[in-house]
Amino acid sequence: MKKIFSLLLAVCLALALTACGGAKETPAPDSSAGAATDTPAKTYKVAMICDSAISDGGWGAACYNGMVDAATANGWETAYTDSIDQSAYADSMISYCDLGYDMIFAPGNQYSDAVVQVAADYPNVFFAVLNGSETLPTANIASILPDAKQIGSIAGIIAGTMSKSNVIGFIGGMELDTTKAKLANFESAAKTINPSISAVSAYAGSFNDTAKGMELAASMINDGADVFFGDASAVDSGARQAIDQKNGTGAIGIFDIGQPADLLGQNPCVVCSVVTDNAGMIGLCMKDVQSGTFGNKVVYGNLENGCVYLGKFNDELVDADTQTKITDYVKALQDGTFGK
Amino acid sequence: MDGSTISDLIIATVRMATPLLIVALAELYSERAGMVNIGLDGIMAFGALVGFLVCYWTGNPYLAVICAAVAGVGVNMVYAFCTITLCANQIVYGMAINIFAPALASFIYRVVFGVSSTLAQATLMKTVAIPVLKDIPLFGKLLFDQTPMVYLSYLLVIITAIYFNRTKSGLNYKAVGEYPKAAETMGINVIRQKYIACIICGFFAGAGGAYLTTCYVNTYSDGVVAGRGFIALAAVIFGRWTSPGVMMACLLFGFFDALQLRLQIGSNLIPYQLFQMIPYVMTLLALTLLGNKISGPKANCKPYFREER
Repeated sequence: MKKIFSLLLAVCLALALTACGGAKETPAPDSSAGAATDTPAKTYKVAMICDSAISDGGWGAACYNGMVDAATANGWETAYTDSIDQSAYADSMISYCDLGYDMIFAPGNQYSDAVVQVAADYPNVFFAVLNGSETLPTANIASILPDAKQIGSIAGIIAGTMSKSNVIGFIGGMELDTTKAKLANFESAAKTINPSISAVSAYAGSFNDTAKGMELAASMINDGADVFFGDASAVDSGARQAIDQKNGTGAIGIFDIGQPADLLGQNPCVVCSVVTDNAGMIGLCMKDVQSGTFGNKVVYGNLENGCVYLGKFNDELVDADTQTKITDYVKALQDGTFGK
Repeated sequence: MDGSTISDLIIATVRMATPLLIVALAELYSERAGMVNIGLDGIMAFGALVGFLVCYWTGNPYLAVICAAVAGVGVNMVYAFCTITLCANQIVYGMAINIFAPALASFIYRVVFGVSSTLAQATLMKTVAIPVLKDIPLFGKLLFDQTPMVYLSYLLVIITAIYFNRTKSGLNYKAVGEYPKAAETMGINVIRQKYIACIICGFFAGAGGAYLTTCYVNTYSDGVVAGRGFIALAAVIFGRWTSPGVMMACLLFGFFDALQLRLQIGSNLIPYQLFQMIPYVMTLLALTLLGNKISGPKANCKPYFREER
């Protein structure tokens, strides 16, 4: 028995060795080709960590797509680790730093502490924190800051114009600063348009618990809410499912506003989206890394530079007049004349 | 609170309690044979994925639940082999399942759907109304117009209660969890009984996970189970290892969870974290008040060495 076992082990070892040998051979022609053409141009690499899944049809998806699009445009390589717990934030980033990645993309304010910790140990790796605070940037950390107030206001404009019941709903994941800003402006913008509107809000306490999103939305619908906006990744998909179920097969009377990607068409209830162009902002960071000007700054994303904008309308649910109305309000918001 | 709010609360309670109930019953069958399985959360996650995939491909939620249940058995057999045959620590292997199974589920999901970030949606199980009962005024439509999974889980509560208290085979089953050596001397095959317990546990835990993705939400995302396996574990202790008790525990938790969501929506001034604590605080409170007079199966969590004296 023992003999068979050792024989098996030997075979495994031999196989492993040949496999290693095989792997080593492949990159060889590449490097020689590179040397021959005298272009030692470095391929930059960016890695992303994420606490929700990149396939959540919401936040994670939009951030991942943003990174990939920016990387394609700038000729970078990408990698990601998703669905990780808070305890693994720092470890995952350290692994990427050790693997020689040039930039780490952390899509959320919740990673700030871990980024600060890791960035101090790896001064040659650059860290871009989406929604990072304005005080966060150091020599190798930059904040990417889509204007949460504008995003909330745009959603509020849509909700204020669309709501017939005068009750609008907001579902948050965690009580982050950006989420709070979105909620506050969502409510105030809607009230500016229609003073009799009231907003109901709740937090799921998670970005993954789809079922909880469903429950929250269902009970808000019961309270009369007819336009929804959310800031909670997969929880939002649950909310949209509840809305679709409530709408049934008849006329669609309860609406949802998508973010941060253009979610038009994903669910029948999506009337419009508030789009954040993550790719544009990450692209700016990548260019900074390449030109050596990274760090000590906040890359803003707002209506003015086109990194935040109104998505496409669902033409069946929003008539042309309403569309113009909303577009005009958003223009006023950009000019700073909204509500004045 | 008007009528529609109350009926809404009741239906949400049933909806939120059902996955807990199915999985808590799975754990009940496991612990009655002395097998503490804290890997429920992991088995659920795997069941949720398999259920979703089968439903997505075939469009048949019933087949999906069965496949998920079988997959749950498969995962639980790892635990069973290590703890029954190899006599390893049950808590350690349960934890291992909790880490291993969701990761495997996440991996398979990624392999199937690639890194494409579009949201895959599958069909949901249709509700089946029970003819006469659904016409009961007020709550008839709510309680008797549910998916078959809901009826089955409550039927299972009754069957389980009868099985463990009124049948010879049920008493033999319980003997394995109480005093396996005595059971063995009476001719009960303890090892086989423990494996059967693990098969039942894996089956229902997998089905409970699939409930989430075939009857509840129509998408799969990592973390969809959201700790429900652990709540189910607590429900078994809370419910004193009896199926009616377990059912009450699950309904109580479901009720307070549904209630906290509604209270949260109603008030803006109180921090939402306070509301989110309610179901857990109530569970703790109930556990404290009920005391620990009736403890669980005596040989619970202990490995069984057949030849040891």
